[in-house]
Amino acid sequence: MAQTALQDILVLDFGTGVAVPDGIRLLAELGAKVIKIESSKNLDFVRTIAAEKNSSAGFNETNRNKLSIGLDLQTAKGKDILKKLIEKADVFAENQRGGVAKSLGFDYESVRKIKPDIIYLSSQGFGGGGPHSDYPAYGPMLSAGSGMLSIWKHPDDPYPVGSNSPLPDHMASKQCAIGIMAALDYRRRTGKGQYIDMAQTEVAASLIGESYLDYTINKRVPEPKGNRCPYAAPHGAYPCTGMDNWVAISVFTDEEWHSFTKAIGHQEWDEDPKFATLLERLKNVDELDKLVAEWTTPLDAWDVQELLQKAGVPAGVVQRAPDTMKDPQILHDNALVELDHPIVGKRLYPNVALKLSGTPALASTPAPLLGQHTDEICRELLHMSDGDIENLKKEGVLESPDIQPK
Amino acid sequence: MTSHQEGALTGYRILDLTDSKGAYCARTMGDLGADVIKIESPQGDTGRSIPPFFNDDPHPEKSFFYIYRNASKRGITLNIETEQGINLFKKLAEKADVVVENFGPAYMDDLGLGYEDIKKINPNIVMASFTEFGTDGPYKNYKGSNIVDFALSGVMITSGYPGKAPTLLPGMPAYDAASLIAVVEIIAALYARPVIGGGQKIDASVHEIARTGLYPWSVPIYSHSLTPGGPLPMPESRLGDSIYPVYPTKDGHIRVIALTPRQWQALVKVLGSPEVLSLPEWESFIYRIGNSQDLLAIMLEFTTQFTQMEIWEKGFQEGVPIAPIYDIPTFINSPDANARNYFTKVTHPVIGEGLYPGPPYRWTATQPKIQSCAPLLGQHNEEIYCNELGLSKEDLVILKGAGVI
Repeated sequence: MAQTALQDILVLDFGTGVAVPDGIRLLAELGAKVIKIESSKNLDFVRTIAAEKNSSAGFNETNRNKLSIGLDLQTAKGKDILKKLIEKADVFAENQRGGVAKSLGFDYESVRKIKPDIIYLSSQGFGGGGPHSDYPAYGPMLSAGSGMLSIWKHPDDPYPVGSNSPLPDHMASKQCAIGIMAALDYRRRTGKGQYIDMAQTEVAASLIGESYLDYTINKRVPEPKGNRCPYAAPHGAYPCTGMDNWVAISVFTDEEWHSFTKAIGHQEWDEDPKFATLLERLKNVDELDKLVAEWTTPLDAWDVQELLQKAGVPAGVVQRAPDTMKDPQILHDNALVELDHPIVGKRLYPNVALKLSGTPALASTPAPLLGQHTDEICRELLHMSDGDIENLKKEGVLESPDIQPK
Repeated sequence: MTSHQEGALTGYRILDLTDSKGAYCARTMGDLGADVIKIESPQGDTGRSIPPFFNDDPHPEKSFFYIYRNASKRGITLNIETEQGINLFKKLAEKADVVVENFGPAYMDDLGLGYEDIKKINPNIVMASFTEFGTDGPYKNYKGSNIVDFALSGVMITSGYPGKAPTLLPGMPAYDAASLIAVVEIIAALYARPVIGGGQKIDASVHEIARTGLYPWSVPIYSHSLTPGGPLPMPESRLGDSIYPVYPTKDGHIRVIALTPRQWQALVKVLGSPEVLSLPEWESFIYRIGNSQDLLAIMLEFTTQFTQMEIWEKGFQEGVPIAPIYDIPTFINSPDANARNYFTKVTHPVIGEGLYPGPPYRWTATQPKIQSCAPLLGQHNEEIYCNELGLSKEDLVILKGAGVI
């Protein structure tokens, strides 16, 4: 078997939602052994937004390649088991509600007493140390609390509403993985562990840094631009046939403009003084957008993508899941993978994104049922006897799946 | 270079050949302490022409976009399409740990600077290559752009108002997502180097990995909702304003997360338990999504009795997550950003002093930080070419004249 980058690393994932669990999944794909610490009394909240705790699409996507121990941390014996796991761990990561890890006795100061070189990552919405450190926060609140949402709208929208997605959650999770990876590398060279305190609002703000410079240096509050670009036209999402179908088109250079007008059969626009140059196109962008939309409206979004791309113009379907599932490049790249999960059966997920030639990432395995690996972890890692494990289950300290796989 | 506090990646050198679409990758590692050398063509990175500009003056040293995304780097000029340029690049690569590039499929190979070539002179090299659509396949010759890649990622269809055009996320979302995933891979490859006894190659296709980077749930949610013989799931739409509603207050808007019955009950309590909100049907999350416009009309009367801060704090006390929609000045001046010293004062010789968003975390041993302002074009040519590669100042004059640097 090929070596993996993190083959000897043990990570304890005391996360919930996305920001920590999605980042930790990348570490699992890099070969770390990841144990998710959870219990029926303290469910990862993504498990709760489904008919049954093992059938959540979001959970099953986010927690692939992990093991799960069902462990009640409200009990003294449960805490002891976690302490024994910490002794063997390299990384501890949590994004429980502010103050929860501390009240359970597993804040950084407590954990480092057990494992002095531990790398401990904590992620809170507004970060530690400020007045709102303990405020529960979900991604959509953090695009709001960071300034990002204020410019995420069309200029004529009354106020911004963002997206169904929990952004910046999935970007925060990558920063979580980056922080842990860099800290692991530093520990390899120096023997020192450390504490990383991440703020999701700051992840969001760091993605729009140029807007902050515009304010702090030019003293101008940035205006939302929607789909417009100050140096390209047309540039936007245009309606196509069917319900709520759209294609994105962007034309930057004169060469692209001429290819565009030729491909769509409107070469007369090249001569039209309103559109002949980029400057004119931007001055008359409302009219141009209307004309482009008139052209796209009776067409299929996929046909527009193909026609324009063949002409050398950047264009792409505004995809939803069924589009992605038939996208020929996605299929060519094997970018989706079917996994057979014991409860929900065969379902599709994005495939592993990490492409390393020397230490290939591991193939995906289904997300664990709650407590699926309790026995295995207790026996093999903690050398507990079957009798002890059974007794602790009876006492409610340990938990195994309460549902029979299909 | 001035001495500075050690970072987690201090000691590694990164050669950054990317343009604006990959700049955030090496920037992130620069903040973590790596010595990043940005290599631009003698004409300069095209990112230098991206607005906004200092005083709206479109000058190559005044692009906030370039300056933000290339902080924590030193900068040299080099034309790698010349023979001397290729030789100089190889000398730099001998001493480097990482090369990052996004020229497109086969470009570096054709110059004799592909991974296999560099590996011969430096077996420890980690080389990361970004492409828009991969190195082969039906989209191999397709062109990407910020809005096109975001559209393809599957997030755009969920962004904005129902009935209106899906809305682009500010910044460079698909490229930044790919950049951050590449950082994870690069550090993993550095970490694995002693184990496998050498470097490796990393390939990042923006089209392939942007959905993992930004929002990987779209396909799994669709796939989980399919039942054999059952109806197809409803097409994904823009539900931001009904799932995570936005309401006005006295002094700005707030966003409310009431997903569970308990959170909804807490919200009603925050608003003074008005009778009209206590009707049992409102308890259902699905009903609230389906009737979000009616709910908004009712809510207005109550939410506008509070300031953003009042309702935020009351929400916390009662147990319903609420957050203010801050504009950019308000977040800069917010008590949380201040308590964490998040914004970093950076002085640049042309645009002067500004507050930059810093790295999004605080570390106890190796605090990441913006190490330096972005380089002026060719600012470190002498420092690198003369002090490190042993060229003379006269050599630089000749190479400049020949279009090599």
